[in-house]
Amino acid sequence: MAKRTFGSKLWFGFGLTVALTLVMGAASVIALSVVVDAKDDTIREAVEDLVSAEHLTTKAESRISDYRAFILSGKQEYLDLTNNDREQFLALVVRLRGTLTNPGSLALLEAVSAAEAKHAAALVPVIEARKTITDLRNTSQLNSTGVVGPLRKAMQEAIAALTAKVRADVEAARRDSSARATQAIVLIVILGLAAMACGSYIAWRLNRDLRREVGAAVGHIQSSSAQLEAAAAQQASGGRDQASAMSEITTTISELLITSRQIADSAQRVSKIAEDTADAAQTGDTTIDQTKASIAAIRSQVDQIVQHMLALGEKSQQIGGVVDLVSELAEQTNILAINATIEASGAGEWGRRFAVVAEEIRKLADRTAGSAKEIRTLIDDVRGAVNTTVMATEIGAKSVDAGSRQFDDATSSFRRIAQLVATTNDATREIELSTKQQTTAVEQVNVAASDTARVTRETEASAVQTKQTAAHLSSLSGDLLDLVGTGRR
Amino acid sequence: MSPAEVTDSLATLRADFDRSFAEPARQHDAEYAELLAIRAGGRPYALRLSQASGVHSDRPVTPLPGPQAALLGVAGFSGSIVPVYDLAALLGHPVPDRPRWLVLATGTPPLALAFHDLDGHVRVPTSIIVGETDGSSGPGVLRGMVPLPGGTRPIVDLPSARAVVHQLTGHITYNTEER
Repeated sequence: MAKRTFGSKLWFGFGLTVALTLVMGAASVIALSVVVDAKDDTIREAVEDLVSAEHLTTKAESRISDYRAFILSGKQEYLDLTNNDREQFLALVVRLRGTLTNPGSLALLEAVSAAEAKHAAALVPVIEARKTITDLRNTSQLNSTGVVGPLRKAMQEAIAALTAKVRADVEAARRDSSARATQAIVLIVILGLAAMACGSYIAWRLNRDLRREVGAAVGHIQSSSAQLEAAAAQQASGGRDQASAMSEITTTISELLITSRQIADSAQRVSKIAEDTADAAQTGDTTIDQTKASIAAIRSQVDQIVQHMLALGEKSQQIGGVVDLVSELAEQTNILAINATIEASGAGEWGRRFAVVAEEIRKLADRTAGSAKEIRTLIDDVRGAVNTTVMATEIGAKSVDAGSRQFDDATSSFRRIAQLVATTNDATREIELSTKQQTTAVEQVNVAASDTARVTRETEASAVQTKQTAAHLSSLSGDLLDLVGTGRR
Repeated sequence: MSPAEVTDSLATLRADFDRSFAEPARQHDAEYAELLAIRAGGRPYALRLSQASGVHSDRPVTPLPGPQAALLGVAGFSGSIVPVYDLAALLGHPVPDRPRWLVLATGTPPLALAFHDLDGHVRVPTSIIVGETDGSSGPGVLRGMVPLPGGTRPIVDLPSARAVVHQLTGHITYNTEER
């Protein structure tokens, strides 16, 4: 029984008590039914047998009365009544014979029947005699023998004896049934005492088990409630800390969200700037092509200038040749004039005049030589200028070529810059898209963090409620311990 | 030279040319001396035109083998063969450049001196010529100086040059020429 649950114990005790109660009730019912049967038998016997016995007396007296009335009146009607009474009497006898069980009573009944039969037999001659008698003065003759009287007394005595016997039987049956009722009362009292004892034992046992097991369990519940209360308090504290931390996290995430949106806006602006840069790069590409065409035209013009300058140098050289010829002629003229002067100096007066002409010729030759020298100087200056110009132009052409190459490099660099700008544009768009996705993710995180904070607050609230419930449970455990009688620990 | 300057010098030339016909006949040569301004070995000199019988340029000179470094060779003038000497070498400062001008000295034996450049033919008064005091012949070639535009020049005396050539060639020194 130790390993059974307390409910099963209760059920067992309650079932045992109920079984005992049923047994007691059944015994009581049986006892009551036995008592009732006994009383019924007694009453029936008292009612039927005693009444029938008394009826026998009554019918006997009624028959005697009717007989006497016949005797007195001689009328048939009274005789019929007398016969009717005798038939009823006999019917009562038959009925009693069926109901009586006591042999003594039956013997007395048979005696009554025999006495009545004798009495009836004694009456027959009288009745016949009466029929014949019309004068009532002869009535005394009717009972001339005098046997009717004793027989009537014997019959009455027999009936009285039967009645007494039946009365005695009824009394005996009443006593017997009373004894049975007393036995039944004793039995019921004994059973009731046994049931009380058993119930008391079960109650004591249940009380003991209740105090022992339920008290221990309630003690455990109380200690567990205390632990649960402490845990709930700790959980509530942790929940508050977690709620504050979640609040800080939510604030941080909100700031992060603002920053992320700013980054998204910046990325969008950078993307716009990158697109503008790409457009400007395309425009610059067109400008580069135009500039390349211009550089090629400049190169062609420079080549033409060089050609023209070379032609000019060649013409200058030709002019120089002519001037050399003129100089040579002037020199030869000068030599001729000098020699003419020499020849004239030895020719007397005529020679002197010739010398004058020769001097004039010499002066012309000198002037011609001087002019030729000036022309030569000019031509040299022109040629030097042409050479300088050609060299400068060639340097310019080389500079143009170098500039063209550098411009090609710059163009390739510019196109690479344009490609890089396009790449940058794509990267910027990716950054913009990623930042938008990040912003959306941060918003979702923010919502999740808000939900988490709300759940944390709810958890804290439920922890507080759990703490209160645990405290209440602890108090209830104490009350229950008081109830089961163990007392507060 | 600007076109205006060309026009001016053309007008000057025309005026000088026209004036040459208007001027009266000049005085005798006793008052003036005809000089040739030359350069030999890069140095300026002058020589009297009266001592020369001709000036030539770029005449072919046939080299002659010999110990004289100053003897450039021989050249033909009017059917005669004339030895050609380098004036710069005679003056004692020879240069490797080949002279292109030749001047024929008057008198005999014929002699031609070669110089590098002819600066021009000038006519100067004899009064400005600085002569030597005694007028005797010396061992050198230079006799007197003349101030000319561009600097004072020593005057190369051609008979003295012939005498120096004779000394170099081992002949007896004498001077038959009038100085």
